Amino acid sequence: MKVPAWLRGRPVLAVGLSIIGSFCFVALFAPWLAPHPATDPFGENYQRPSATHLLGTNDAGSDNFSRLIWGSRTTLIVVVCATTMVLVIGLAVGLTAGLRGGFADRAAMRVVDVFLGLPILPLLIFIAALAGPSLTVSILMIGLFTWPQTARIVRSQTLTLRQRGFITSARGFGAGPLYVIRRHLVPSLGPIIAANLVFVAGLSVAIEAGLAFLGLGDPVAVSWGSDLNRALTNPQILIDLLWLRWLVPTGLALTLAVVGFTLVGVALEPQFNPRSNRAR
Amino acid sequence: MSQTQIPAPASEAPETAEAVGTTEFLTEAAPSRRRRPPWVSLASYVVTVFALITFNFAIPRLMPGSPIDAMLAQGSDTYVQDDQARGALAEYYNLDQSIPEQYLHYLGGLVRGDLGTSIDTNIPVTEELGGRVGWSFLLMVTGMLVSIAIGLPAGIHSGWHRSKRADRNLLGLFLTLQNLPIYLVGAAAFTILVSKLGLFPLGNATTLNAGYTGFAYLLDVGRHLILPGILLGLDFATYEFLVMRSSMVSELGSDYLLAGRAKGLKQRRLKYRYAARNALLPVVTVIGLQFSVAITSIIFIERIFSYPGVGGYMLLAIGQRDYPAMQGAFLVLTVTVVTVNLLVDLVYRRLDPRTAA
Repeated sequence: MKVPAWLRGRPVLAVGLSIIGSFCFVALFAPWLAPHPATDPFGENYQRPSATHLLGTNDAGSDNFSRLIWGSRTTLIVVVCATTMVLVIGLAVGLTAGLRGGFADRAAMRVVDVFLGLPILPLLIFIAALAGPSLTVSILMIGLFTWPQTARIVRSQTLTLRQRGFITSARGFGAGPLYVIRRHLVPSLGPIIAANLVFVAGLSVAIEAGLAFLGLGDPVAVSWGSDLNRALTNPQILIDLLWLRWLVPTGLALTLAVVGFTLVGVALEPQFNPRSNRAR
Repeated sequence: MSQTQIPAPASEAPETAEAVGTTEFLTEAAPSRRRRPPWVSLASYVVTVFALITFNFAIPRLMPGSPIDAMLAQGSDTYVQDDQARGALAEYYNLDQSIPEQYLHYLGGLVRGDLGTSIDTNIPVTEELGGRVGWSFLLMVTGMLVSIAIGLPAGIHSGWHRSKRADRNLLGLFLTLQNLPIYLVGAAAFTILVSKLGLFPLGNATTLNAGYTGFAYLLDVGRHLILPGILLGLDFATYEFLVMRSSMVSELGSDYLLAGRAKGLKQRRLKYRYAARNALLPVVTVIGLQFSVAITSIIFIERIFSYPGVGGYMLLAIGQRDYPAMQGAFLVLTVTVVTVNLLVDLVYRRLDPRTAA
């Protein structure tokens, strides 16, 4: 197979993309890949691995391997919805602040500062606990609390781009703000936003699983986080290597998904984000 | 404000970028805090704290169903059927008043340090929290110390030997560590090291009912602290490592190092006394800013190890649907984080003469 030019010599990106790719594949084709439904009990609980149940069964007698596969679907839903939300809010706030300037800019950046200083997890726990755990709440919360970073990056890039000649000349030729955004800003911003969103995606995987781990995930959804919680709070977990076929695979799946997104983010960042060296 | 500056072109971003990029949400905050006058930070702080308090007051009231309903719901421990008793309870919690009145009442209580009474234990929440803040603090400080002991030397070493094998190994190790969710590492460590192998005590901060005193008590506390402390330390160390490393790398080409080398100074001295010392400043900020992220890890660790801190208390309260306890713990956690952020901001001004107003 021929390696495409943009991927050559970039093993980190390649590995990351293949992890995300297989993860999406599994999530999309879960009904065909999973040997059993995720929630139905299959006879005895705590079965040992066998040909029918590759990783045995859990406390309710469901197939561990199938739950692993179905869990990726929940994760993918969260990633897609939360990331879309972050993209929309971040882009709207960042572009408005960067293009309008003045009061709108200052106000938006103050809000961003406040959000960035907030401890996200206690807030998420608090809201999830009060609103009642559900996937929608998790998604909304992740989206609502992770956009400031994106907004800030969009804004600073917009400010730089605005100084460049092509936008001034486009405006000089009578282009409206929407045309400039669509034609000039979004294409130039795209790669940077993409790199940032990949991080957001990884973060949302970890947050969703974290909430579920604390028992604040959707009780109905098949989630890796809540499976971890269930396995860990189960007194049987240490008997008969149950942890090896229940806790470990779930943990590995979760880690792999997070690592996949981070690898892609790490690979994209230095290339696209000129502000990466801002720490100095 | 740093955002109004034109960022350096991409070609100037050295390979430190990959390291900094992943800690982006930490380092990002630093420059913007740097150049605004202290009163802006203070005003922003007051607004945030006020927002948190209001949020804490409003959210339970915005949710469908009244708190009283949730508290007295059928099947809960505190279920009450009698309407008169319900009315009396609503009055007790001031829920019969209008929202603005309730809000004033709530603020008045806060000023007096009154966070309400736990429904579960019937002990004032302030008292409950008072006994737990110390444990959380102990855990946090231990984690920080461990992380400084691990992260800084590793970062100095890695940065000094940039792009060499040692650097690549350390970078890989810490990036991996950073990607492992703390609850996963914690759960794994607990299952294997505590439950399976019995190397460390089974949760909690002390051996209950052991009646240890004096030195034996301290030893007992220490034994319970080791594993959670190390786990937190490893978690915090990743950020410190990455920032220390990139900060170190940025010192590498400095003239003073060249001069020192020409003078024949020992590598060791150049590395630790000269370069590391100059590279330390950004790390100080990160150690402070890390606090808001650290709170997250502490909540998980306290939960996994049943450590009697504030985070664990909040989760317990949630499990019991104990609203006053939950709100109190939430407020303490969030306001602490915001306050520490402000302090770091103010301390940073003093540390860095360029930002001293």
